[in-house]
Amino acid sequence: MTDPNLRIRGLSKSFGGVRALDGVDLTVPAGQVHALLGHNGAGKSTLIKCLGGAFPPDAGTIEVGGISHARLSPRESIAAGVAIIFQSLSVVDSLTVAENIFLGQEWTRYGTVHRRAQEEVAAGLLERVAASCSPRDRVGELPMGQRQLVEIAKALSRSASVLVLDEPTAALSGAESGALAERVEDLRTQGLAIVYVTHLLAEVERLADAVTVLRDGRVAHHSTVSGCTRSELVDVIVGRPEPVPNGSAEDGTADSLGTTGGTVAGTAIGATAVSRAPRLTADGLRGPGFGPVEIGVGEGEIVGLYGLIGSGRTRILETLFGGRRASGGTVRVGERVVTPARPADALAAGIALVPADRRRQGLFPVLSAQDNALLPTIRPLARYGLRALGAERRVFDAMSQAVGLSPARPRLPAAAFSGGNQQKLVLGRWINEARSVDVLLLDEPTQGVDVGARQEIYQVVSALAEQRGTAVLFASSDPEEVVALAHRCLIVSAGRVVGELNGAELTEAALLSAVHDADDPASTTSEGAA
Amino acid sequence: MTTATTAPTNRLTPGPRALAGGGLNSVRRNPLLVVLALMVLVFQLTTGSFLDPGNLRGIAIDAATLAIVAVPLALLVISGYLDLSVGSTLAVGGLVAGWFAGQQHQSPVVAVLGALAAGAAVGAVNGILCCYLGLSAFIVTLGMLTAVRGLAQQLFPLPLSSFGSGFAWLGGSRIAGIDAPVVIAVLVLVAGALFLALTPAGRHVFAIGVNREAAYLSGINIRRTPFALFVVTGVAAALAGAIKASVLDSVVAGTSGAGFELTVLTAVLLGGVALTGGSGSVFGVLLGVLFLGCLQNGLTLLSVPTFWQQMAQGTALVAGAALAYFGPRLTR
Repeated sequence: MTDPNLRIRGLSKSFGGVRALDGVDLTVPAGQVHALLGHNGAGKSTLIKCLGGAFPPDAGTIEVGGISHARLSPRESIAAGVAIIFQSLSVVDSLTVAENIFLGQEWTRYGTVHRRAQEEVAAGLLERVAASCSPRDRVGELPMGQRQLVEIAKALSRSASVLVLDEPTAALSGAESGALAERVEDLRTQGLAIVYVTHLLAEVERLADAVTVLRDGRVAHHSTVSGCTRSELVDVIVGRPEPVPNGSAEDGTADSLGTTGGTVAGTAIGATAVSRAPRLTADGLRGPGFGPVEIGVGEGEIVGLYGLIGSGRTRILETLFGGRRASGGTVRVGERVVTPARPADALAAGIALVPADRRRQGLFPVLSAQDNALLPTIRPLARYGLRALGAERRVFDAMSQAVGLSPARPRLPAAAFSGGNQQKLVLGRWINEARSVDVLLLDEPTQGVDVGARQEIYQVVSALAEQRGTAVLFASSDPEEVVALAHRCLIVSAGRVVGELNGAELTEAALLSAVHDADDPASTTSEGAA
Repeated sequence: MTTATTAPTNRLTPGPRALAGGGLNSVRRNPLLVVLALMVLVFQLTTGSFLDPGNLRGIAIDAATLAIVAVPLALLVISGYLDLSVGSTLAVGGLVAGWFAGQQHQSPVVAVLGALAAGAAVGAVNGILCCYLGLSAFIVTLGMLTAVRGLAQQLFPLPLSSFGSGFAWLGGSRIAGIDAPVVIAVLVLVAGALFLALTPAGRHVFAIGVNREAAYLSGINIRRTPFALFVVTGVAAALAGAIKASVLDSVVAGTSGAGFELTVLTAVLLGGVALTGGSGSVFGVLLGVLFLGCLQNGLTLLSVPTFWQQMAQGTALVAGAALAYFGPRLTR
């Protein structure tokens, strides 16, 4: 076994002219944990999906166990010995642990499933991953950490030689993460090649032997973990050799969390030096999985909520919008206490949300562009209970010009538009002349949006804040986006606001080091209480 | 779609397409139009009497009750729900109307209003269970189909008949030379098309059917409109029942409207309404209703046995679904 378990050479993949992967090399020998780093859009997911057979690569080879493949189907990938544990697990909740492990490769006897034999083998596999569940437990009733172990056991049952873990600790509690780390150590000594995708540099230091950083689809850095420091990694992830302004936030106001109504004006950024009247204020807002948080957004101010996936950003936004019920605290628009219980309450109070999951929560794919953009506007425009068709059309045309919709065709179904233009339609719902809101909440405003449209969306949002004084609060996991769009940024970790970056200190490097230093929940809470 | 022009479309008025949908475009959207025309031609050539005014009038009266229920049911399906209980609601409507007119000697107006109230009650129960309590519409209305039929037979164990000349007006009179049921059906069709095209709630029906969660997050009341549609569907089924009772001058609790729920659903689906919600038009529903009406009438004229007629009806539905699925791929 001199061949490494996994060797990727010159892997390239483009999506409609955008190079997601550009000649990536990655070699992982047996018994190595190889950390794969890079911020969103760097190409990590594309790499994993090529490996798992979801996408055919345009060029390059994937060599597993000495056998070279130009492309893999999902089935071939499994047969070659690759197992990928995605963040959203692919276990079937209604089946038992043993049934899940043997799903698609059931052992049969006389044409029926040989349950007892399956359960015996499953018990052995569960022991190998030190899972505490029984083969007969229903997966849906298990905690996240156990489900993940079931999926790893399934990979072992298929005699995988390459295990890919995609941000495995994102959905786990602290204790579960610790247990998972031990399992990864075990599997390494058992001779698996492990690709470990993560944002958390502390995990890299603890677990990994080697590290590869992707940036813009290329390998930006490759070394052993002992051969580089944390700050070097941050620099290479960001892509600029910037000094990390760790100690520069000393002016006091930046670290203070008292960003309630009155103090917002005081902490407004120096660049514009406008004193801002508070528009959106959340006091001690709490809900399942987050809080209490204090958030203040002034008139015409754009504030970012930056944190990793699972940090609670989305929950905070959804609670401000009434999509989730707050368990405590108040939300005010201007001076008025609104604390919405339903989205309709929030909208009545002038708060709108553009959700992150456009397909599921934002778009009506088969309906026309005009219906998509004007849905909440149709009733306010109507007269005598009938739609004002002419006015609808005028509002649509003005909106589509303002956001630069392309093509500007009202009748075209939304599904026919590009991701960026779909996002403009959803955004247009709240910023047209007949329906403008005081507070705009955006969750991952440019997810699945190409680079060009991304800039246009930033311009639209900035213009909205500047010209109409709309208070904008957006959540993002992309530091580049936060720097491009925000006047001010709140750092979110483990459901709390743990810091704030303002004006000149708001850089990509500062954002990355803020969340990566906030790895340990214990240290963040103490910081938050200061 | 890609062949369409990209020139500025500012002069196009966003008119109510559902009302008529002019010319070639409506043929492309409703291939059933071509099938219907061919079928009429074949029936006329083989029977020689299909297009006689008397026969057409018979088709129209039969199709009328179907259309009256198919329109609100189509709206319900577009919004992502379903009502399988209409067959039994139809029986209840006929029985209540007949009971008021025949047993109680009430005026036909009271009889019809009583029927509509009974239909509204059934629809409201469906609506509360499905829209406000979130139960599956398929299960709720399937259960109601059986339960309401049972209740009807318990309350009216004996057939009702002889409702008097006043009540016979509903099914038998003519308004400007057109039979009253046909006039009512036309009103329902026009109202349904106007509702979809011209009211805000009409847009909401589509939005809720396409993506309930996105509609909710857009601040739309995702319960009220479908609830109202359940009530209207119940009312429409009861009205159809009253009309049938008036035409036949008798109602039998056990058999009135039996199987009607599937016929009307067949018409709705043939008319291009997606069972998954979010798409469909009243014009399509009209075609679906006419198609079923003509098919049944033509086959009867040709003395085709009932079993074969049922086979033809079922085959048409499956063939229609296959056409809708594979058609766009073949023409592209």
